[in-house]
Amino acid sequence: MTTLMSKPVSAPGKSVIERLNIVTAVVLGAVSAFVVWRLALQFLPADTEVRLFTREDKITLLSMVAWFIGFMTGIGALVGPFRWVMGKDLSHDENMFLAGKDMGVNRYFRYTTDHKVVGIQYLVITMVIFGIGGILAMLIRTNLGTPEGGWIHPQAYNSIVGTHGIIMIVGTIIMVTGPFGNFIMPIMIGARDMAFPRLNALSFWLIVAAAIPLIWAQFIGGISTGWSAYNPLAGQAPLGMNGYIMFICIFAISTMVAGANITTTIVRMRANGMTWNRTPIFIYGTMASVALALPAFPVFFLSQVMSAMDRALDTSFYNTAGGGSGWLYENLFWIMGHPEVYVILIPAVAALMEMAPVFTRRPLFSFNVAVMGIAGISGLSVLVWAHHMYISGWAPLLNAPFMLTTELISIPTGMLFLVLVGTLWRGRLWMTMPTMSIFALLWNFMIGGITGIYLSDVPADAFLHGSMYVTAHFHYTLMGAGLTGALAALVYWFPKMTGRMFDKKLSWISFWLVQIGFNVAFIGMFTVGLAGQPRRVESYASTFNTGNLITTIGAYTIMVGMLVLLHGVISSWRSGDKAPMNPWQAKTLEWTVPNPIPLENFDVLPTVTSDAYGYGKAKS
Amino acid sequence: MSVETHAHHEDPDVVGSRNRLGVILILVADVAFALSMVFVYFYLRGQNVNDMWLPAATEERGAIEPLSSGPAWTVTAIAAFGLLAHLYALKGGREKNQTQLKLGSLVAMVASVVALVMQFNTIANAPFTFSDGAYVSCFYLFTIMNFVHLALTVFISLGNWNRARLGLYVSNLWMVDIVRIWWIWMVVSSLLGAFSLSYP
Ligand SMILES: [Cu+2]
Repeated sequence: MTTLMSKPVSAPGKSVIERLNIVTAVVLGAVSAFVVWRLALQFLPADTEVRLFTREDKITLLSMVAWFIGFMTGIGALVGPFRWVMGKDLSHDENMFLAGKDMGVNRYFRYTTDHKVVGIQYLVITMVIFGIGGILAMLIRTNLGTPEGGWIHPQAYNSIVGTHGIIMIVGTIIMVTGPFGNFIMPIMIGARDMAFPRLNALSFWLIVAAAIPLIWAQFIGGISTGWSAYNPLAGQAPLGMNGYIMFICIFAISTMVAGANITTTIVRMRANGMTWNRTPIFIYGTMASVALALPAFPVFFLSQVMSAMDRALDTSFYNTAGGGSGWLYENLFWIMGHPEVYVILIPAVAALMEMAPVFTRRPLFSFNVAVMGIAGISGLSVLVWAHHMYISGWAPLLNAPFMLTTELISIPTGMLFLVLVGTLWRGRLWMTMPTMSIFALLWNFMIGGITGIYLSDVPADAFLHGSMYVTAHFHYTLMGAGLTGALAALVYWFPKMTGRMFDKKLSWISFWLVQIGFNVAFIGMFTVGLAGQPRRVESYASTFNTGNLITTIGAYTIMVGMLVLLHGVISSWRSGDKAPMNPWQAKTLEWTVPNPIPLENFDVLPTVTSDAYGYGKAKS
Repeated sequence: MSVETHAHHEDPDVVGSRNRLGVILILVADVAFALSMVFVYFYLRGQNVNDMWLPAATEERGAIEPLSSGPAWTVTAIAAFGLLAHLYALKGGREKNQTQLKLGSLVAMVASVVALVMQFNTIANAPFTFSDGAYVSCFYLFTIMNFVHLALTVFISLGNWNRARLGLYVSNLWMVDIVRIWWIWMVVSSLLGAFSLSYP
């Protein structure tokens, strides 16, 4: 018995772990999908007259599940669990191999457990997602450049809108906690890695696995329902809906795994002496975000499981003819959907709160208020979901209470504003792109927040609901506030993640292009929304022409700004100035490790004796 | 489940408490999932849209009668027995009684397999088609999800028994303790399903 344990498992020749990488994953996934598709085509019985149109859904879903299982097996996700069952835990050497020791670029294409590799993987996939989502946005805006539309087929237009929506939501969910929560957070708290390195790799590769069904969906009818995939509409939508369902289910698993992992890391692995009131505010933001997602996404998962059952098995969860309810879907969807807004926003704002003291050289203006604000938003955000359903007719008596809880959120949100403004107030600012991003966030989030108050108001919402005003509002929050924080975080932590400084000039050019373009685009969209232009519609009355043209011009400006940023990322990464260890003279722990960062970050684990904002006393 | 990925050696207690928290957090997600299912059940039951929770008889077929919740309770009872066996194993481990540890783990594993088979039979022998109204939809949702849970339990208890058999739990028991948490949740979630199905 003991020989089993002590015998080194990595024998000469290539072991299974060493063979698996993205190529084996894609091949195994594709082959499994193809085989299952053929078999299902062959053997699944034809639809009966009672149950029409379910066979193709079954075939599609089964093939997608096969892809998923094949891909995850091929990348090596099952090695750990099976070795556990067999009682042959991974040896030290195998774990070092998995961590990517001495492997060079190859480790980015494997089931690598080093949190720094996972962070970079997340960064790249976030950029890819924004790239695709951005192209879709430009297609939308180009089509809306003229009132009659027609440039894109209406059905394709619907699908572009739905895909743009869901892909950008996922992109923004992972844009801070993915790259920076994985790469920076463990170093910031003085840990050698995440609590569960293999789960970390799992959370990333699940997202890659999830992407394929979404792309697949585009070729089998697309996602014609908008990102919210309301039932029973989704039950009647083309086969592409199955891709959406699979995408959400896999992404929900990724969110759960990442949430448990990041939260455990923060709770259990902070350095000696890093008490909660010495823990940097970015850590709070990251934890609030993933902990909020933890109970929220399973609800979304369930809603999609039932959606799949309705489509493929003809059950009636949402089909009123069979005793189902569309309101059921709306409730489940928004119980996830509203907390998700703060899953996106909180870490982005927290990242800027982390930078504010660095660039003003003063302590964070009331750390406690910042923590209370984050906690207050997280707590309230699970009690507001039905503000998306005022007009749906579900429980009109609850409209007033939901209006109240929604408007209460302004209070903790105001606290976060207070912290940022208080930190900037009379500071001697070091003007960098991240510093300016704080101002941009305050401006955009103010507009996004105040327009949100109008939408939370039941009578006003009766008029504004379903219009472009709503679209403009949530772009102001998710993009104007969220993305602005994420881009600042990219520039701020770029030196630590790549060892090179982000090109200063390019960061400024892109900042102004994006911010000006953004405000032009979405102020234009507010005006047409107020005038009554419905969202998700491919053509519109000619009275809305000017506003739409302005929005389209703004959108193209954003695109140029984003391309400049992309150029900045690539050129700085390849040939930027070598970054010193602590280019911003910041006091958090990630700046105490050398570039490039050694595999296990710290040779000797640090001990923390004060908070990270000791820049002298704040004056008035 | 080993987390000692690196050369720097960590105290098994530290590793154990970290793993316990990780599992509990994953269970938070699973609990949210299970509670949402209960919400779905009682929401649709309460709404009884178009009187289709349990459809009345039509010309083609008779009225849909709810199944007895007996099998659901039986599966839960077997799962509870599995939990007891696992607790017995854990107690053995704490008292340095390896035989008891191995025996209890084995019995727990067998219980999970029996429960899985029983759950499968409930699904396979249900006298419904999927389109027989909202109650039947929920019936399938609950039984299929419990089946998935039980399959995971088989996997976990198999690993647990095998590791006990190999003597991997001689020096510390934190993993057995975490498997206990899973078993408790297995029983509670199965019970939530049986409870719901008792109110057709
Ligand atoms: Cu909301």
